[in-house]
Amino acid sequence: MQNEASEGKAKASVLKDYLGQFARTGNLGFIAILAVCTVLPFVSNDYWALIATRAAIYWVLVSGLNLVVGYAGQLAIGYVALLTLGAYTTSVLVAGNVLPALPSFLALLIAGGVGSLFGVIVGLPALRLRTFYFAMSTLGFATIVTQIALAWQNVTGGGIGIVGPEFPAPFNTPWGFYTLCILFAIFSTWITHNIAHSQHGRALVAIRDAEVAAEACGIYKPYALVKVFVVAGMLAGVSGGLFATLQTYITPDAFTFELSVLFFISILIGGRGSILGPMLGTIILTLLPEVAAPLAAWSNFLYAVLLLIIVLVVPGGIGALIDFKNKRPLESDREIVPNINIFNNLGLNLPSKGSLVLRNIDLRFGALYAINGLSLEVHSGQIHGLIGPNGSGKTTTLNAISGYYEPNKGEMQFWGVELPPGLSHLRSGCGIARTFQTPKIVGEASVIDNVMIGAVKFNEASFIEVALSLPRHKADEVRLHAAALDMLSAVGLRELAYVRADRLQHSELRFVEIARALISKPKLLMLDEPAAGLSVTEIGRLGEMIQAISKAGVAVLLVEHHADLIFDICDYVTVLNFGKALASGSPDTVRSNKEVVSAYLGS
Amino acid sequence: MFETIFVSGLAMGAIYALVGISYNTMFSTSRVMSFTAGQVGMLGGVFGSLYMIAWGLPIWVGLPMVLLSCALIGVVTEYVAVRPVLKSLDQHLYVLSTLALALMIQQVTAIKWGTEPKAFPRLFNLGSDIWDEKFWIPVIACGLTIVALEYVYRYTLVGRAFVAIAEDNMAAQALGLPERNLRIVSYALAGAIGGLAGFSGGELILAFFANGAVLNFYGFVPVALGGLGNNKGAVLGGLALGLFQQAANFLVGGIFASVAVFTLFIVVLLFAPQGLFSSTSMRRV
Amino acid sequence: MHTWVPENLLQVKGVCAGYGKLNVLKDISIRVGAGEIVSLLGPNGAGKTTLLKSLSGLISLQSGEIEFAGQSMGSQSARNFVRAGLVHVIDGHRIFTQISVYDNLLLAGYNLDSTVRKERVEEALYFFPEIAEKRSELGGSLSGGQRQMLAVAQGLVRSPKLMMLDEPSAGLSPVLVDRVLGVLNELKSKGVAILLVEQLIEKALSVSNRVYALTQGKIVLEANAREVGLVAKLEAAYLGARS
Repeated sequence: MQNEASEGKAKASVLKDYLGQFARTGNLGFIAILAVCTVLPFVSNDYWALIATRAAIYWVLVSGLNLVVGYAGQLAIGYVALLTLGAYTTSVLVAGNVLPALPSFLALLIAGGVGSLFGVIVGLPALRLRTFYFAMSTLGFATIVTQIALAWQNVTGGGIGIVGPEFPAPFNTPWGFYTLCILFAIFSTWITHNIAHSQHGRALVAIRDAEVAAEACGIYKPYALVKVFVVAGMLAGVSGGLFATLQTYITPDAFTFELSVLFFISILIGGRGSILGPMLGTIILTLLPEVAAPLAAWSNFLYAVLLLIIVLVVPGGIGALIDFKNKRPLESDREIVPNINIFNNLGLNLPSKGSLVLRNIDLRFGALYAINGLSLEVHSGQIHGLIGPNGSGKTTTLNAISGYYEPNKGEMQFWGVELPPGLSHLRSGCGIARTFQTPKIVGEASVIDNVMIGAVKFNEASFIEVALSLPRHKADEVRLHAAALDMLSAVGLRELAYVRADRLQHSELRFVEIARALISKPKLLMLDEPAAGLSVTEIGRLGEMIQAISKAGVAVLLVEHHADLIFDICDYVTVLNFGKALASGSPDTVRSNKEVVSAYLGS
Repeated sequence: MFETIFVSGLAMGAIYALVGISYNTMFSTSRVMSFTAGQVGMLGGVFGSLYMIAWGLPIWVGLPMVLLSCALIGVVTEYVAVRPVLKSLDQHLYVLSTLALALMIQQVTAIKWGTEPKAFPRLFNLGSDIWDEKFWIPVIACGLTIVALEYVYRYTLVGRAFVAIAEDNMAAQALGLPERNLRIVSYALAGAIGGLAGFSGGELILAFFANGAVLNFYGFVPVALGGLGNNKGAVLGGLALGLFQQAANFLVGGIFASVAVFTLFIVVLLFAPQGLFSSTSMRRV
Repeated sequence: MHTWVPENLLQVKGVCAGYGKLNVLKDISIRVGAGEIVSLLGPNGAGKTTLLKSLSGLISLQSGEIEFAGQSMGSQSARNFVRAGLVHVIDGHRIFTQISVYDNLLLAGYNLDSTVRKERVEEALYFFPEIAEKRSELGGSLSGGQRQMLAVAQGLVRSPKLMMLDEPSAGLSPVLVDRVLGVLNELKSKGVAILLVEQLIEKALSVSNRVYALTQGKIVLEANAREVGLVAKLEAAYLGARS
């Protein structure tokens, strides 16, 4: 009875926080823009209808590209290729050159499909190529599409061009078409907003800024990116179809590199990780040549200058400038005070007890043995310390367990099941979570967003449910939000939940990593030198926290240099040297072992 | 017919190779790939036409001026688009800053020089048919550049400093090498090499603002094929690309030749993301 | 610049340094006198390499002062530290493998006048006959021990007042370790001061005048190298105070 009431109160306060967030994420900006759009037909003429329609069409494409460039960080500069494809697809289908003429809306739908397909094709190299190479490949792709449009004369009309499709009444007048495009713009804003503010959006940002950590949290890059390529491609294809109608007649030289650059710059001016920012960016860049007519010839030059200024001076773009909540100063003498008693109520006490067992693990880099015949065990509720001089293989051992490296020999068993070698993105699902030697955090995201990245495996809603913001997605988010706040309360960072992570001190980031690891309710928690850079008080609190986590039933593998911490809290210690276990046993046994002492002292 | 393809393939290949070397030279001291490499190539042709046709200067004044102007553009690149982002933790800002600068260069050229290709002077009036100078000037320029660079890297102190910085930046710093000045010099050098590409190829590709984008891509392919930082690989890659492109042009026509080149590029990269001759690999974790 | 006493060739006061937000060194104060060999000992992760890097301009200070030969060094570039006479031989015996041994040494004297440079290179080679005979071979053909000697030779080309070495014995056989440490003694007799970071405690103590122990970013011990019971004290410092 008591539990239900407090649970209800907890849910209500979470909902209040969530709604507060809703108001803060710039939704007021969207409402303002929507208001302007609604009023526009009544206060201006056909000329401005065209300009506004153009901005809306560009935004349909840019909103999708925003997920690829702004959120996923993939520099796809040649996206005009998809605009071209969409435009020609609708025009050709409506003109009836290849198949019998199709109605415009059906053609538009097919253009969206074609866009999705090619969105994936253009995007796939991102999984293999480095940033610059990928950017180049998208440019090459854009050139090719234009060349094909030029060459395939009997279908596309070659250099002469082809008529753009018309839509049935009431969409065949300037303001009618304007309304159609605004509707599409609203739709694209809505679905990209939903995707961005979901586990999918957070996963993209994690891949962009903390890829290694993202894998440890169960995020599989190809899978995460392909979904976005499909959506972005679809929106670009639809945008292309609408563009063809706007132009009324398209030729290959309507699809210039400058247009691609405009889309790209809009996102960067607007700021990464924002929907409203790029929307404002698109509007500004579309309006610029109209408003400053004498500058029209120089407009492309100005876009480039703007891009340079943004990159050098305000890398966060407009989004960073309007991020008022992160301008409030933080207390400078903050202390991290974990709430130890909460740890028993976090759901960490899993019914199934078991262990991680490593037997005779060998891991070689070339001829060098990084790990040489290592065996160790970690059990539920136990803290196992792993220490040793630099280069002894401690972090390499964690990385092997995490699946970043594959052992050459030996076996790893987890709760009785063999751990598949490699496949680091599956570890989170198995129940293994970890922190890293240097905190791998998404600086531009809030603390709570960072923590929620750890819970990817608890998603129940499918991608479509997320995009359309169906009830199961909303329920997911509320639940996840609450869980993340609980974790932050436990580690003592509740007040900083909505602060941008790059404003936090180093020690706070370490605790955020621990919260992120715990939210996945792991069976095994691996900590890689969590005490590095912490003050003496903080190390004490860290120690208490690790003990509370262990008492709650989690198996803990702790790699550390701070001998004090190890000998204080560990139940069992293994000492590594040159990849081999030099000694293992209780802290006292290990400490008085002569070989250990001389390995450390190097005598 | 076959001879024309071969000779024009070599010539275009040499131009692409020089742009590739420009990319590599900028990369070696800064670990940055810059979008401006193709643009300096374009400027080599534009400045050449400007100085020698519009201003009527003879080649022994025109060429040094072109090289100096392009070297200056290289220095501007380092100062404006590269140095500010080297300090930042977000490594990929350099793609955007150099892209922005490249676009600025392209747009200014389009507006001031015009969007039509303009004539490039006939430099020596030598040869005809397959022995026409327009094919052989780029090839000779490329050969001379490679030889000169080898000399610089092996026999001058500055060249050996470049090699050192490219191999181990921190060791070079600790040794007291003036890495900032050396970086500026290497960017100036890269600018001059890019300018030479456009100048030596001027009789073939003329003085045309759109050359920038084309050279950016086609000059990058040799680098991708040969491995980043590998000048000899860039030359091999460039020549192979030039021959492949001209052959494809002849066999399937200009437009599908581009498709062929691009497909080749993607396929090679997907199989060997670090290039065919490279051996670098990076530790992620 | 002001006059300084030989004991304070290098004076470090209250230095805090780290990487980005990570604060590795906390309030470090040490000194090295002219003609001394001072060892800096401590467990891994204590911050020894970070300290050397902050003393040679490779990373910038978050706070504190460095005074070298009476000159306040503050936030100078590595190049200026080298010019002032403070040379840092980094860990991992990293030399340039694509150029010759002779060229490796020439580069070490990059900013010197060319005649002076050649003289200094010859002097440096004189210290290390093993590599003098390989002067025209590529750096990449040298063994680990020879590379370490080349790295030290590079440091010598600048005729430093103070040379800092980061784990010069790493990866070397005992014979080579003695050879390298022997060179340090010879340098000391030439008047060069040495700040030595080492893992091999007893070897380090055998050549040093004084020693500092660093753990968890703080100096926990300063002593004369000949002090009785020093090794036990160091053990306690390394493995935590609960002995």
